[in-house]
Amino acid sequence: MPDGIGTDHQRIDGRAKVTGGARYASDVMLGNVAHAWLVTSAIARGHITGMDEAAARAVPGVLEVFSHRNMHGAVAETEFFAKGGYVGSTIRPLESDRIWHDGQIVAMVVADTLEAAREAAFRLQVEYREEQPAAGFDAAGVEVKAASEGGFEDPEVGDADRAYGNAEVKIEAEYSTPTQHHNPIELFTTTAHWVGGKLELHEGSQFVHGLKNGVAAQLGIDPADVHVVSPFVGGAFGSRGSLTQRTALVAEAARRLGRPVKLVPTRDQGFTIATYRAETRQKVKLAAGRDGKLQALVHEGWEVTSRPDPYKVGGTATTARIYACPNVRTKVNLVHADRNTPGFMRSPPELPYMFALESAMDELAVALNMDPVELRRVNDTQREPIKGLPYSSRNLVGCLDAGAKAFGWERRNPAPRSMRQGEWLVGWGMATSIYPTHIGAATARVTLLPSGHARVQTAAHDVGTGAYTAIGLAAAEGLGVSLDKVAVELGDSDLPPAPVAGGSNTTASVCNVVMKACDEIRARRAQGQQGAIEVYAENVPEGLPPEAIGKLYQGRNALGGGLEGGKQAMAAFGAIFVEVRVHERTREVRVPRAVGAFAAGRIVSPRQAHSQLTGGMIWGIGAALHETTEIDHRTARYMNDNLSEYLVPVNADIQQLDVIMLDERDSQANPLGIKGIGELGNVGTNAAVANAVFHATGTRPRHLPVRIEQLLG
Amino acid sequence: MRPFSYMRADAPKADAAASFLAGGTTLLDLMKLDVLRPERVADINGLALSGVRLDAHGLHLGALARMSEVADHAEVKRHYPVVAQSLMLAASPQIRNMASLGGNVLQRTRCPYFRDTSYTACNKRNPGSGCSAIGGVNRLQAVLGTSEACIAAYPGDFAQALVVLDAEVEVQGAQGRRRMRFAELHVAPGQAPQRETTLQPGDLITGFSVPAGAWTARSLYLKVRDRESYAFALASAAVALQLEGETVREVRIALGGVATVPWRAHDAEAELRGKRLDEASATRAAAAAFASAQTHGENAFKPELGRRTLVRALLQAKQMEA
Amino acid sequence: MLPLLTGTAAAQPAPATPPTESRTMDMTMEVNGQVHRLALDPRTTLLDALREHIGLTGSKKGCDQGQCGACTVLLDGRRVLGCLTLAASVGGRQVTTIEGLSRPEGALHPMQQAFLDHDAFQCGYCTPGQILSAVACVREGHAGSAEDIREYMSGNLCRCAAYPQIVAAVQQAAPQVERS
Repeated sequence: MPDGIGTDHQRIDGRAKVTGGARYASDVMLGNVAHAWLVTSAIARGHITGMDEAAARAVPGVLEVFSHRNMHGAVAETEFFAKGGYVGSTIRPLESDRIWHDGQIVAMVVADTLEAAREAAFRLQVEYREEQPAAGFDAAGVEVKAASEGGFEDPEVGDADRAYGNAEVKIEAEYSTPTQHHNPIELFTTTAHWVGGKLELHEGSQFVHGLKNGVAAQLGIDPADVHVVSPFVGGAFGSRGSLTQRTALVAEAARRLGRPVKLVPTRDQGFTIATYRAETRQKVKLAAGRDGKLQALVHEGWEVTSRPDPYKVGGTATTARIYACPNVRTKVNLVHADRNTPGFMRSPPELPYMFALESAMDELAVALNMDPVELRRVNDTQREPIKGLPYSSRNLVGCLDAGAKAFGWERRNPAPRSMRQGEWLVGWGMATSIYPTHIGAATARVTLLPSGHARVQTAAHDVGTGAYTAIGLAAAEGLGVSLDKVAVELGDSDLPPAPVAGGSNTTASVCNVVMKACDEIRARRAQGQQGAIEVYAENVPEGLPPEAIGKLYQGRNALGGGLEGGKQAMAAFGAIFVEVRVHERTREVRVPRAVGAFAAGRIVSPRQAHSQLTGGMIWGIGAALHETTEIDHRTARYMNDNLSEYLVPVNADIQQLDVIMLDERDSQANPLGIKGIGELGNVGTNAAVANAVFHATGTRPRHLPVRIEQLLG
Repeated sequence: MRPFSYMRADAPKADAAASFLAGGTTLLDLMKLDVLRPERVADINGLALSGVRLDAHGLHLGALARMSEVADHAEVKRHYPVVAQSLMLAASPQIRNMASLGGNVLQRTRCPYFRDTSYTACNKRNPGSGCSAIGGVNRLQAVLGTSEACIAAYPGDFAQALVVLDAEVEVQGAQGRRRMRFAELHVAPGQAPQRETTLQPGDLITGFSVPAGAWTARSLYLKVRDRESYAFALASAAVALQLEGETVREVRIALGGVATVPWRAHDAEAELRGKRLDEASATRAAAAAFASAQTHGENAFKPELGRRTLVRALLQAKQMEA
Repeated sequence: MLPLLTGTAAAQPAPATPPTESRTMDMTMEVNGQVHRLALDPRTTLLDALREHIGLTGSKKGCDQGQCGACTVLLDGRRVLGCLTLAASVGGRQVTTIEGLSRPEGALHPMQQAFLDHDAFQCGYCTPGQILSAVACVREGHAGSAEDIREYMSGNLCRCAAYPQIVAAVQQAAPQVERS
């Protein structure tokens, strides 16, 4: 029986994953491999003044100590990804004696065994001249710049300040969200191997073509001589999207030593050699009439970034457009500090900025004495307010209805501290979720054999999202075969290029191009072509310029869609409902149940989509209650850089979690009507938790994570 | 990790040159961080020190009994619930399967400045160098038993159960076996935080004895933490109660997560003996328990949380069927 | 201000004596029923022995500090962490890894099948550790209720957060694992 889009099916890569057969980057066994160990900076700002390598080099088995002394000039400068380049940080470690941030790579020891490499790394003596670093917002010496200086467009319409001044009901509040680290369970490993002048890289990646082209540019070699192998990725969440600087260092070490080199950095090194979610501070002002209709929305954000790189979170691009509001003013500011460069982390703009907006909406509902679901309902719109673009489809109201019903929202007593169970205060809160629908240029090769077996080849990425299965289902539908006859090959730069696994675009981008190839195969069969049929398809989605396909072949980001460009706004929506319990004395916050209802276009592989959405909601719960990177503000160093003290939810933190996926057809967004869901689940969930905590306790949490000390008062 | 020679110990004997390896959950962790650098590692897992026994005198625990064995022991759960609970609420199932009781009580602080050798200033690791935690990231650090030299919190749970039940610890030393009150094992940092216990180099903990008492059955361990499982205590309370009606005949209180050592709260106990146990008396006891607390910025919430934790624990113990 | 920071290992000066010569020690371990004789650095952990020397890469390194559970293996049937176990210390005991739970082309172990059925993983990296932990959880008698399963599976972090699906999988497989 043919399978297709919407078929409930187990993961086609699942057997490999449950048997230990799935080979992640550091699982590749290479002969004569040498082991690398990083030495990272103990200061956040200053210079290296001395390095005593004698004790390290004396460790038996040590092959080389790489530092700025022998690596200067080895890795070329390349552009920041947001300026059209590849790297997530332009800070080049081992280029000079300059220290830009805590945990910067200052040396890499390579030895015959990892035990020897580790010992030698600890024996390396590095001397520094330290300058007082600026850790973040409140530090002396930070540099604040408007994001608009770098070309960011602050959405604005009407006269928000006047409307705010004239409104009957208004609230104003400040919120903050902390530094967070992705902490995928797979470490940031890289194995480099040169074969006949060609570089083979084994590294978990969300963008193998970006990695290939980026490393080639850094090392001054032909991209055709780089092969990136990344069929399985042990979690990514944005951390493996842009190129990190470690890859070129490992490749260069392997080239010089004439041996494969394998780097398995430690967990704490992962906090500083890759990116993270920047901390934000936000001010929100909302004004409404007695009917609840918004009259003014003012949203200003401050975001930490590194000294050299203008990484921008910029969630106002979404918060300005979600509700019907005639007067909107927004502004984003970048605060440059002595930190590593932040980057994308699951729902990068929306998670922090929607926390502020949806908390403020809850505060407004309280001020209006209006049900918070009703407040979202009266401000629903089918056109975004900034440019008046129509949403390609939008069913927030359906989500509110379905979620409220499943949750039992009508039984909520709106008064804070009005519900309890035994010693536990009970609170119910909700929030809206939104994630822009992105799509990019993509290519794929599809082959149908006379036996009825098919093969799909595309350099897309399954970072746990279920892409293997979703793409397989699209091909099964396109060719009219069962899924067990479809082989899917992903995560290899020798395959036809596909976009970065970011912005939740993969399913839309890749399934559409695969379907295009399948259509062509079917057409040729209808014309009587015999034997195996192989089609290589390219797809440039409507709204993207023709050069998008060329950028893709160069490994550059080329995503379209979303809320801002083109003739329409495209997004998936959701409504999150959360119950919290807060102990009346000791104030632990627990989440016994949550419901998320989502309208996210056509659901390609329902079982994996369900997992993505539950996982996303759990991320939102973790963001609300647990996750924060602790920074020593004297030294600008991360102090809880491990999984014992950087807390993510454990199994016992999650109890009942229900996901409802509404049927939604969207013929405008893209031919298959697919919207992204990988990042939708965590947006709004943090605010729903915080709003529930307010309902339980009467204390309004405005600073994440919401921990016991905020609630003891 | 520095090179070491590995050997298996064939008899419980003192070995001043070696670090003893039991579960390895602290030793290997800190060796990987370069905090500990033993030249010899003596694997003691082959020694016959793993029994768990209850008799009329009390509870006898071998130092090599694993946390999970005792946490799951039906008789321990029934007669010494605070012991079983303190173990069950600690770490993870895998770590509880590995970690020995002897090693558990000797686990080292989680203070990040102790664990990160790139920080020079840590009096515990590098005597005389200063304390980076004071004025730094110290949300999890101690408010009781601190000094200007060190505020590192004792991170364990089981030790509070031993302290609260007046357990004894048995030690094999160079001069033979000796027993002492468990409460005398750990020492507060004072001016010498590098010295954490009264053990001499080479001493090996071989077991624990918990005396029977009329209060052991009505005992519990309450642990307050950020997440529901697998987290260190923000505050914890071990309490054991003997009631006559609602009047406290005997009470024992120990506190965790808030102190530099397993912390017995004698002042709090004195507030309660002979009194009716209720919200008011429990609150007075909690106030006494934290009268000497000193906070350092991020951990300013701990006295209040610790007091509430103790009140909750006392009132919960009162409700127990024992 | 803190005292000026110097050096990455400045806490204790490097010993004056040169490091001892690299040496290995002979060890024997039985993994999935097969005996391996190895000559390894005494510092080698069980996890690194499995991954780097025996070629069994199903056990994963997620933290190397006993904090994530990805390296969970069974040692004489009990779940332990490979990253905090010295390879030298496991001689004479039986190690079971994910590769030993079922035969390569044979039927899956009931717990593996349950994880597959319930989509109890996403990226799959923590999955071998989760499955071995789940098998032990059932055998320990800690899978009697969803609440018990949640608590006794909390030593295995899943960053993709497949927790509800993991609980469902353990519940499905528990009766079969108990009988086996």
